[in-house]
Amino acid sequence: MSSTLFIALPLLFGFATPILLKFGKNGVAYASMLMQLFLLYLAISLLSTTSSYIEIISIAPPLGISFVLNSASLFFVLLFTLLVTLFSFYYMVHRKTDAYDNETKFFILLNMLLASSIGLVLSSDIFNIYVFFEIAGISAYILSAYKKTPSALEAGLKYLLTGAVASVFLVFAIALIYINVGSLNLAVIAQSFELLPYNIKLLISILLLVGFGFKVEIFPLNFWVVDVYQGSSTLVNALFSSIVVKAYLFVFFHILYLFLPSGEFSVFLVYLGAVSMLIAEIVALRQTNLKRVFAYSSLGQVALLFTAFAMQNEDAVQAALFIVLSHSIAKFIIFLALTSIEKEHKSMHIETLKELSSPFLRVVMLVAMLSLLGIPLFSGFIGKFLALKSFAVEGAFTVLVIVVVGSLLEAIYYFKLVGFMFSKDEKREELKISFRQKVLFGFLASVLLLIGIVPMTISNFLLDASSTMLDSKSYITALIGG
Amino acid sequence: MFEFFNQPEVIKAIVTIGSMVLFFIGLFGLLTRKHIIKVFISIAIMETSIFLLFIGLTFKLDSIAPILDSKHIDILVMNDPIPHAMILTAIVIGMAVLALGVSFAIEYFKLTGKTDIDKMNEMRH
Repeated sequence: MSSTLFIALPLLFGFATPILLKFGKNGVAYASMLMQLFLLYLAISLLSTTSSYIEIISIAPPLGISFVLNSASLFFVLLFTLLVTLFSFYYMVHRKTDAYDNETKFFILLNMLLASSIGLVLSSDIFNIYVFFEIAGISAYILSAYKKTPSALEAGLKYLLTGAVASVFLVFAIALIYINVGSLNLAVIAQSFELLPYNIKLLISILLLVGFGFKVEIFPLNFWVVDVYQGSSTLVNALFSSIVVKAYLFVFFHILYLFLPSGEFSVFLVYLGAVSMLIAEIVALRQTNLKRVFAYSSLGQVALLFTAFAMQNEDAVQAALFIVLSHSIAKFIIFLALTSIEKEHKSMHIETLKELSSPFLRVVMLVAMLSLLGIPLFSGFIGKFLALKSFAVEGAFTVLVIVVVGSLLEAIYYFKLVGFMFSKDEKREELKISFRQKVLFGFLASVLLLIGIVPMTISNFLLDASSTMLDSKSYITALIGG
Repeated sequence: MFEFFNQPEVIKAIVTIGSMVLFFIGLFGLLTRKHIIKVFISIAIMETSIFLLFIGLTFKLDSIAPILDSKHIDILVMNDPIPHAMILTAIVIGMAVLALGVSFAIEYFKLTGKTDIDKMNEMRH
């Protein structure tokens, strides 16, 4: 049992596809789901270990690469494997009427995305992070342009152009780090980063911010997000907003907490996140396309996560991890429900919600939207409340006001959508939701309700994860021994 | 006069200035050119400039290749192999991403006949 199984198994699955195709045309889908279930079982069985678990790839650090599985990485690994397993399950249920022609390629790309997101979260070597960054990017570009319609191809092109520019800045940052520090291991860099002259530290930080900023979707660099979400197919949007963005957020803040543990630039980052959220919510008010509305809402929530992570204290990071969990599950529900709506009504205008005729789907989407807003009794409330509390404790009242105003703006258009869903207009005949889809949506919605009503079940785990994420000294000691 | 240019600091300064000029040429092309293939070429120029900067700045004069065998055992006089390994990986990744991008552009051109990025607005706001 080693943590490299999380990365190696999905990639191995890609190579084994010609063998799996011999089992019939559903062979690839079922095998992929089995493998992801096995990884989920592995991740859950690792929950009982309390210390960090370091996996060395043939040469010990500082010379070699190692994967570190502490409680923060384990939280993200669990989240990603759970969501991808449910996604495979939904894909098999959904594909009968809206079939992709060649689902082999889709599953290979899905598994590459899973492997590279987990690799980003586990890796402790900055160049290894760059390689996983690129693999995740390439899988996302191809998934985005999968349908090969003009708008899907345009979305893929826009995504690829911004991703390529981001990777140029990231390579620049890594080159400067290696020239000044002499090593690529995160622990060794963390030891010597504070001693560098201020100009080089500032330059490397700006380059890392720009390089990761494209993917983490902060204000000037998130112009690509909404068009890419609108052009790609709705199934793939669920993957992007739930898995890919969270992996990049974790890596960026992991690197920030290691390199700048004293929080030198955190004031700037906190305000950047707050301004991004406000701008995203303001622009979202005018949208008339369902996918664009939810894409802007995703931008606002990710900006809130950025603000909470940038505060750099335990309560704020615990709140951020709560928001990660509830936002991933809620957006997953919403985008998967939108695939059913799109298949039935063929249009993504917001008034289409008036024609939504399945009461089950309406209730499930209501639960997801209320959780995103932060209504009490739902999971999103705990995260937002803890985040606002940590802002107030630190005395960052301007940021608190900006975040509250952003949440209010979000509530305006969410309640408009809820009003459309439950309006008394003429509804067409009942949209058929199959039993398996009901099980999936019901499970996810009940997880949101459960965490909202009894957050104590996971709040200790998340507090432990947040203190592990912020504790750079024990990370360095564990890797290279003081 | 040539002794002046043979000093390591001067060589590194020239490499830095040259690669930064190349970086800004690529950035200028990325921002002002409209044809999709020209945009890809500008990104390739930017990547090349970073590779040049990195290899130039980690170059050691009067060093030998980093191969250990029975005759060469003095490590301190050998060149550092890590930057070269990193840049080879980064070149391959950059080439793969650009090849993917050009294939998307070709598919798009086959379907709609457009290559101007200002005219690529399938998604009306």
